[in-house]
Amino acid sequence: MSDAVTTRRSRRQSRGPYGRLGSALNELDDRVGVAKGGRSFLDKIFPDHWSFMLGEIALYSFVVVLVTGVFLTLYYVPSQAIVTYHGSYLPLDGTSMTEAYASTVNLSFAVRAGLLMRQMHHWSADIFIGAIVVHMARVFFTGAFRKPRELNWTIGVTLLTLAIVNGFLGYSLPDDLVSGTGIRIAYSIILSVPLVGTYLAFFIFGGNFPGTAVIPRFFILHVLIVPALIVGLVGAHLFLLVRQKHTQFPGEGRTERNVVGSPMFPVFMAKTTGFMLIVAGVTALLGAFAQINPIWQFGPYEAARISYAVQPDWYMAFLDGALRIFPSWSFHSFGYTIPFEVTIPAVVFPGLLFGLAYAWPAIERRVTHDNALHNLLDRPSSRPKRTAAGVAVLAMLSMLFIASSTDVIANFFHVSLNTVLWTMRILVLVSPFVAYPIGYFIAKEIHATRGGGRRKTVNVVQRTASGEYVATPAPAYGDDVASELAPTPVPTFITPPEAVPPTDPGTRTVDR
Amino acid sequence: MSQMSEHRTPVSIQGLAADDPHLAPAARHPRLVERVIALNFVVGLVLVIGFGACYWVNAAPWTLGATMGGGLFFLGVGLVAWGKYLMPRGPFVEERHPLASDEVERDAFAAAIVERGGGVVKRRKVLGGLLGGGLGAFGIVALFPLLRSLGPLPKGTLFHTDWRSGTFAVDSTGRRVSVGELAIGSIMTVFPEGLENTDRGQAVDQTILIRISNENFVTQKGRETWAPMGYLAYSKLCTHLGCPVGLYEQQLQLLVCPCHQSMFNATNGAIPEFGPAPRPLPQLPLYIDAQGYVRAQSDYHEPVGPGFWERS
Amino acid sequence: MKRVGAYVAAGLAALAPVVAFAGTAHAQTFSFTPYQTSRFDAGTPNSSVVVRNHHGVIISYGDSAIMYHAPSSTLDALGQALFLQNCASCHGDQANGIPANGTPGAYPNLIGLGPATIDFWIESGRMPAVDTAAVEAPRRPPRLTHDQALAIAAWVNSLDPSYPYIPSVNLKGANVADGAALFALNCAACHTIEGDGDALARGTYAPSLRNIPATQVAEAIRTGPANMPRFTGNLSDYQVRDIVKYVTTEIQHPRNPGGFGLGGLGPVAEGFVGLLLGVGLLALVGFWVGERQ
Repeated sequence: MSDAVTTRRSRRQSRGPYGRLGSALNELDDRVGVAKGGRSFLDKIFPDHWSFMLGEIALYSFVVVLVTGVFLTLYYVPSQAIVTYHGSYLPLDGTSMTEAYASTVNLSFAVRAGLLMRQMHHWSADIFIGAIVVHMARVFFTGAFRKPRELNWTIGVTLLTLAIVNGFLGYSLPDDLVSGTGIRIAYSIILSVPLVGTYLAFFIFGGNFPGTAVIPRFFILHVLIVPALIVGLVGAHLFLLVRQKHTQFPGEGRTERNVVGSPMFPVFMAKTTGFMLIVAGVTALLGAFAQINPIWQFGPYEAARISYAVQPDWYMAFLDGALRIFPSWSFHSFGYTIPFEVTIPAVVFPGLLFGLAYAWPAIERRVTHDNALHNLLDRPSSRPKRTAAGVAVLAMLSMLFIASSTDVIANFFHVSLNTVLWTMRILVLVSPFVAYPIGYFIAKEIHATRGGGRRKTVNVVQRTASGEYVATPAPAYGDDVASELAPTPVPTFITPPEAVPPTDPGTRTVDR
Repeated sequence: MSQMSEHRTPVSIQGLAADDPHLAPAARHPRLVERVIALNFVVGLVLVIGFGACYWVNAAPWTLGATMGGGLFFLGVGLVAWGKYLMPRGPFVEERHPLASDEVERDAFAAAIVERGGGVVKRRKVLGGLLGGGLGAFGIVALFPLLRSLGPLPKGTLFHTDWRSGTFAVDSTGRRVSVGELAIGSIMTVFPEGLENTDRGQAVDQTILIRISNENFVTQKGRETWAPMGYLAYSKLCTHLGCPVGLYEQQLQLLVCPCHQSMFNATNGAIPEFGPAPRPLPQLPLYIDAQGYVRAQSDYHEPVGPGFWERS
Repeated sequence: MKRVGAYVAAGLAALAPVVAFAGTAHAQTFSFTPYQTSRFDAGTPNSSVVVRNHHGVIISYGDSAIMYHAPSSTLDALGQALFLQNCASCHGDQANGIPANGTPGAYPNLIGLGPATIDFWIESGRMPAVDTAAVEAPRRPPRLTHDQALAIAAWVNSLDPSYPYIPSVNLKGANVADGAALFALNCAACHTIEGDGDALARGTYAPSLRNIPATQVAEAIRTGPANMPRFTGNLSDYQVRDIVKYVTTEIQHPRNPGGFGLGGLGPVAEGFVGLLLGVGLLALVGFWVGERQ
């Protein structure tokens, strides 16, 4: 007996002071050498500013897209073969349709939790792209794309493009009436490319519309090729972020040569894991309560059928709006046609838009002659011209977004389509020129105010017995104290909070 | 196992004292916060178990999402609150070391590429050229058949439909359309007989048949015999982006495309009068045979659908 | 390859000043009476069931799917009185669209339209019109009762008996799947696939189908009110019945198994929910997770 006890104790001793986990880490370190790098990774500092969470929304909604998407691939059949539906959704009973559509209806109704997964997939895709746009706006307006982060900006713009493309591909896969109309429009847009359009369209679709191969091809692009690119680029995006370290807003103890915030472990890890759960939770709640893309109501796609009020998902809406408001200018010469009414709004315009996004860091560098490394962010107000340019582009895109629902607006306000169309044409052209000066002057004014963007110190005004008014600064809030402590390096290990007596923030000296 | 571990002692705190305010929890009332977080975790746990139960009994889809979403949400809120209020408040700092190497390293790197590579390649230019040529040729040769086998060449397919002289117009079920069938102000979608259920018949040949009077209706010069007894046929493919122009306003005599609201004047050769469509809808010449069936005189006289480069 | 070369050459040549922009707006004025319903050459119904009265006049016709009934001629006198009271100021006291001291042609001639047309316009509350100059007569709570509408239809029909009579749809045995397919082919282009309706040319619109009784759906299909096309020989009574079934069940009471239907606006509403509720809510949570410095 006693022999056994000693053995156990000696084994425990031989594990070292950090027990089973410590010895496992030792084993790993012997082989791979994780201790040094791992330690510095645990100490990696993440800035706490809330606007840095926007990119995390994108990242975690992408995780939700991936997980729910894997579930869907188990049931979806990417085939254009015609089958007759005999399932639980009676209004389609006996209807002939493609296997793609039939399997989508089946996974919505016959597979347990299938409808929830489909709706979560669609919602998280919408949120993914929305969060990318908001994150990109944050990066743009704060100047986070400046040297040395131009490459990561480029990766980000590429990610946005890929996300939009994959969103469209996924929207097309159910082969319902609405998505089929979208594919038809996409085909016509490809057809409009000068010189090679017809060849491109025939190669991509395997012939004249609708072709024979579009669903299987879109499927493999949607579930393998584009996601692989996105995963790879997200990896590169995050690798560069770790390598170059975060940007940060200027503030107490913050310089170009450091990063101030919370360490990776445990604070940031708890917050970010919790945030991931919240993103998944909100997506699931949307999937539970907000119906999205009810393809069973739309019925299977047949080329001769059409529904009014057919719109693409929101991230394609600016293209739809551009197509709606562009005048009917077709270019004919020497026996050839360039359908300007399609090519310009749907090919040239998005090309220019994304080209501008790619080129922006270079453009700004050329204008400002600023070749320095930047780790401290701008406040949007401190760079009025950049802010105004961003506002102008966003204003124009918003107008195009609204222009994609001219019919809905006309119906809602009972005005004629003609009026709405001309209004939107004018608004799209005018909005950037109105938004630029407004953005410029507002930014300039905010920048001119002293301490703009800072928390105001509260003054308590008292009337003395003699009738005098005396203003005294109020004691600082706990938050003020917390954010204005001088930052220190991360200690080797962090004491559990129970060991520290809770302090009264009001009594602490504020180091201003 | 490493022999050294036997003699290790725990690492001591470096840098900060245990009562340093940086290590204090951020909450003013940690005990209360702890209870709130615990409540969040309990609610989350119950909901997640509820999700399992709902799945087990195959409850309505919304219950699955509500329990799973709520469960994850509460667990997440609890975890965030734990990190935010009960863990050290910081702020902590990390030095940022320049990424760029010093000049010696840079020069050595560039020199390694230029000197070594140059020395080897410059002396063997022909070899390099041949290798590059071979790989380049492979790239082109591999790419070409890959593209080429993706689909057929367009050739003339975009210029013609399957309407021929004498083709019967049939509805979506394949029934031939006869002259008494449409009242004035009626609309139907017709296809060339035999192709009503094919992809091509549906996507390319689809034609809209409307009746607007009892007499031969002339829309434009040269189309005097195209609309017998007021039966008018236009291609259903919008000349903007190819959506089916399925929307007919019989008093305004307008054909409207539901996608981007192009409007075509049905009584005037389907000339577009609003929206982005650049060309009239092509008109299909019709005749009515001795049995009273509606038939095509010929194919469309111009390509149907949206514009493309080769279209004149 | 030769052809591609030709394209390149042609593309370069196209830069020459020989440039043609084709296709623009061709505004054209129509003589257009707002609520006009076109004349209707229905002829004698060749239905499987035809019921005649003792004068040999057809009083009902149809089949197992839809029976069309003429309103009883005993209502004629009442109908005339109601017509003179409510309708004659525009349509004239002979219902021919010529008011006592107005210009002929300014208002629709009701002769020969058939009882279903009269019944539809009155029972959907569009007539008597509130604003006779409006482009569309909106659907309203009916001003006249069902029996009054039948009486007016009976009197107008007595002036020149014509079809279609007022349909009575027998939804038993209707095939809702066929109805869905027919709806997608014939109706969705204007009314949208979810039946919400939408704006059309020059201020007209396709009304929502969410709250329309079966009889009026069938009447609208058969008579083509205002700008709606008329469906006669190209839809059988059985097909009309299937469509009516689909509209009165799936369109008017959508199952929405996925949660709230978001008003049937599709991607527009979904985009707003996704951006505001999704990204917006999560950004607010992020605002809490992060610090404000």
